[in-house]
Amino acid sequence: MNTAVNFNQSAANSKVLVRGLDFYYGATHALKNVSLSLYDGEVTAFIGPSGCGKSTLLRVLNRMYDLYPGQRAEGEVLLDGKNILAPDLDLNLLRSRVGMVFQKPTPFPMTIYENIAFGVRLYEKLPKSEMDGRVESALRRAALWTEVKDKLKASGLSLSGGQQQRLCIARTVAIKPEVILLDEPASALDPISTAKIEELIDELSGDYTIAIVTHNMQQAARVSRYTAFMYLGEMVEFDETNKIFTSPRDKRAQDYVTGRFG
Amino acid sequence: MAEIAIRGGTTDSTSVARAARIRRLAFNDAFFRRLTQAAAIIVLVILGGVILSLIDGSLPAFQKFGFGFFVNQVWNPVTKKFGALAPIYGTVVTSAIAMLIAVPLGIGIAVFLTELCPPALRRPVGIAIELLAGIPSIIYGIWGLFIFAPFLQQYAQPAIIAAFGNVPVLSSLFAGPPYGIGMLTASLILAIMVLPFVASISRDVFGAVPPMLKESAYGIGCTTWEVVRNVVIPFSRVGVIGGVMLGLGRALGETMAVTFVIGNAHKISPSLFAPGTTISATIANEFTEAVGDLYTSSLIALGLILFMITFVVLAIARIMLMRLEAQAGR
Amino acid sequence: MPAGTISPFYAARRWRNRIWMSLSVVAAAIGLIGLFMILVVLFWQGFSGLSPAVFTQMTPPPGSSGGLLNAIVGSLILTVVGVLVGAPLGLLAGTYLAEYGRHTRLASVVRFINDILLSAPSIVIGLFIYEVVVVPMGHFSAIAGCLALAVLVVPVVLRTTEDMLNLVPNTLREAGAALGMPRSVVIRRISYRAAKAGLVTGVLLAVARISGETAPLLFTALNNQFWSTDLTQPISSLPVVIFQFALSPYKEWQQLAWTGALIITLAVLALSICARALAARGATE
Repeated sequence: MNTAVNFNQSAANSKVLVRGLDFYYGATHALKNVSLSLYDGEVTAFIGPSGCGKSTLLRVLNRMYDLYPGQRAEGEVLLDGKNILAPDLDLNLLRSRVGMVFQKPTPFPMTIYENIAFGVRLYEKLPKSEMDGRVESALRRAALWTEVKDKLKASGLSLSGGQQQRLCIARTVAIKPEVILLDEPASALDPISTAKIEELIDELSGDYTIAIVTHNMQQAARVSRYTAFMYLGEMVEFDETNKIFTSPRDKRAQDYVTGRFG
Repeated sequence: MAEIAIRGGTTDSTSVARAARIRRLAFNDAFFRRLTQAAAIIVLVILGGVILSLIDGSLPAFQKFGFGFFVNQVWNPVTKKFGALAPIYGTVVTSAIAMLIAVPLGIGIAVFLTELCPPALRRPVGIAIELLAGIPSIIYGIWGLFIFAPFLQQYAQPAIIAAFGNVPVLSSLFAGPPYGIGMLTASLILAIMVLPFVASISRDVFGAVPPMLKESAYGIGCTTWEVVRNVVIPFSRVGVIGGVMLGLGRALGETMAVTFVIGNAHKISPSLFAPGTTISATIANEFTEAVGDLYTSSLIALGLILFMITFVVLAIARIMLMRLEAQAGR
Repeated sequence: MPAGTISPFYAARRWRNRIWMSLSVVAAAIGLIGLFMILVVLFWQGFSGLSPAVFTQMTPPPGSSGGLLNAIVGSLILTVVGVLVGAPLGLLAGTYLAEYGRHTRLASVVRFINDILLSAPSIVIGLFIYEVVVVPMGHFSAIAGCLALAVLVVPVVLRTTEDMLNLVPNTLREAGAALGMPRSVVIRRISYRAAKAGLVTGVLLAVARISGETAPLLFTALNNQFWSTDLTQPISSLPVVIFQFALSPYKEWQQLAWTGALIITLAVLALSICARALAARGATE
C-alpha cells in the first residue's frame, strides 16, 4: 500500500472502490496492487506517462477485458459495495450501469436517432413519443441537439469528429448509467470540440460518477476534482486535483506534473 | 524520363558513350511501357473477342428461332427444334436454391469464426475453409454422383415424399419418384460448393470490423448476438453482399458440380426431385456430339445467354455496392 | 435502471443470444463436418485405386484396367503452357494498371473488364476458344486447350499483380527515381522485387484454379486415349478423363475416376498451401 495515496478506504460516498487490483496481459503484470476510490458524483482523472496502465485500469471497471482471453484481473473492485470481478456477475447489466466512451468516436452504422434509441431499447420498451423524448434529452445533455435536430435520420457517420464523439456520449447517457468512463475522449478532436467535451463533463458531473483517462495534464486540472497519478502499473499518488498539481508528495508525481518526463 | 544534364556540352568519348546509353535506356523504357499497355489492351480484346464470337456463333440459332428461343421448352436434335427455356429455368432455380442455403450457413460459419471460436482453433479452421474453397468442382460432382445422390434416393427422398404426400403445395414440389439425381440434388451440391467461398469472404469482412466499434456496443450492454446483428453485419454489409454476388456468379456458371447429378432432361417439372438441366450442363453434355450447324449454334446461343446472365448479376452487384458505399458516407 | 434484477425483458434478450449463437455453432458444424466427410470419402475411394500402374499405364479401353499416365502428362502440359502464356500477359497488364496507367480511362475500363472475365463461366471461355481456334484449325488440339486455360489465368494474375504492386509504398519508387533510374527499371528492380511474394502467390493461385478446370477443355483439347505430347492434336487431361470415366458404367473406369480426382485434389491443396506459405513469408519480410 502506498503512503502517498490519500483516501479513506471505507468512505461511505465511494461509488467505486478498487482494492489491491492486479491485472495481467498473459504473463505481463500490467497493474500492481492498485487501490483507489471514485467518489459519487465526482470527476476523477487518471494521468501518467504512456504505458502506465491508466487505460488498462479503466477497462477493468466495466470488465471490457473479458472479451479477450488471456487477460485477467485479481483483487476487488466494488461498485456500491458489490465486487464486480466476481465470475458469476452479469456483464451486460454491469455495462448498463457503467458506461464507456472511447478514444476515437465510434458511431454505430445507423441513423443518429437509432444510435441512441438502440441502446435504450435494450432495456426498455418505450412508445415512440417517449423514445423521441429520450433521444432528445440525451442529445441535449450532450450539447448536440441544436446541431442535429433536423437530421436525426442522417447516418451517424455523416457528422464531424467532434459531433460524433458527442453522439457517443449522448448514446452512453441515454441508458442512464451511474458511472461514465472516458478513455482519452478528446485526443482525436480539434481544440474547439475538446473544449465542448470538457464543458460537457463539467455539466454531467454531479449526476454521474466520472472517470477520465487523459494524457493532457491541463485537461485533468480543468475538469477533475480528484486525480490519480500512475506510473509503470502502480498507483503512485491519489489526491485532490489541486493538491497533486501544486504540492505532490511523491517525487515521480512531482517530476511528471512539472514536465520533467512523460 | 531522367535526362541527365551533361556538363559543358563536351563531346569526349565518355559523354558520347553516356549519351548513347541514355538513348538506349530511354528506348527500353518506352518499349516496356508500350508492352504493358499492349498487354492491357489485349485483355480488352479478349473480352471483345468472347462477346463477338458468341454472338457470331449464335446468330444462326437466333435467326431461325427468334424470340421463341427464350420461351420454348422443346429441345429436339432430331426435329431440329431448340428452345432454351428448360436450361435457363434450371440455371436460375438451382442457383437460387443453392444461395438460399449457402448464404445463411456461410454467414453463420463466419459469425462462429469471428465471435465464438476459441482462438487456438481460429487459424486452423479458417485455413481449412479457404483450402476447401479451392477444391475443383468436379470433385463435388463425382461425390454427388456416387455418394450423395444414392443416399438421397434411398433414404431422404422417400421420407420427404411420404412426409409431404398430402400437403397441398409441397406435395407437388416434392413429388416422386425418388431418382436421387435431379434439380434439388444439384442445388444442394451447388450449395456445398459455394459455401466455403461465402464463409471465407464473410469471415474476412467480419474480421475487419474495428474492435473499438464492437467494444462500444458491448460497452452499453449488448449481448454478442446483438453486437453481430446491429454492428458487425451492418458495418460489413458491403463486403458481404459483394461476396454473395460473387458466389452467385460462380453458382450460375458452374458446370461440373451440376452436370453429374442434374439428370439432363430438357423439361421443366413442378417437382424439385425431377431431373432437369442447366445451361452449362447442356453445353457440357451435348457439345461434342452436336451434329449440324443449327444444333451447335443453339448451344453457343445458350452460352451467350449464360454469359449475359452472369454479366447482369455482376453489374447489379456493382451498382448496389456503389450505392451502399455512397450511402454510408464513406 | 435495472440494478441486478433480471427482468423478463432482459431474460428474453439472453435467450435470443443463446439461440442465435447456438445456430451459428450448428452452421459451423454442418459446414465443416459435411466438407470433411467429402474429403474423407475422396481419400478413401481414391487411395483404394492408387497403385504404381496409375502412373505408368495409359487410360484403358472400357472394361480393362490401366492407368492415368497420359492424362496426368496431358494435364501437366496444358497447365504449364497455359500459365506460360497467361501469366506474363496478366503480369504485364497488371503492371500497366498499377504503375503507368493508374488514373487513365484505359485502366478503369480494363479493371472492369477483368472483373467480368474473372467471374465469367469457364465453359463460355471454352466456347470462345472453340470458335476462334478449333474451328479455323479444323480439329481439336492441345494448344486450344492451353489457350482456354490461359484466358482463365490472365484475370487472376492481373488482379493479384495490380493489388500487390499497389501495396508497394511510393517512397520506394521515389527512392529509385531519385537515383536516376528510368521508370521501367524502377518497376522491374524495385516494385517487382518488393511485391515478389505476392506476385508468385497470384501465379500459384491461378495454377491451382486451372488445374481442376474441366469445362473449358471439353471441346478444345477434347481427349486422347493414347499417349500424345503433340500440341496440335487432342490431348488427354485428368479432369476430362474423370468426367468421361465417372459417367460410364464400367467399374475400372469409375475407380480410375476417383483416383484421378484424388490426384487433382492433392495437387490443388499442395499449390494452395505453398501459395499461403509464400504469402505469409512475404508479409513478414
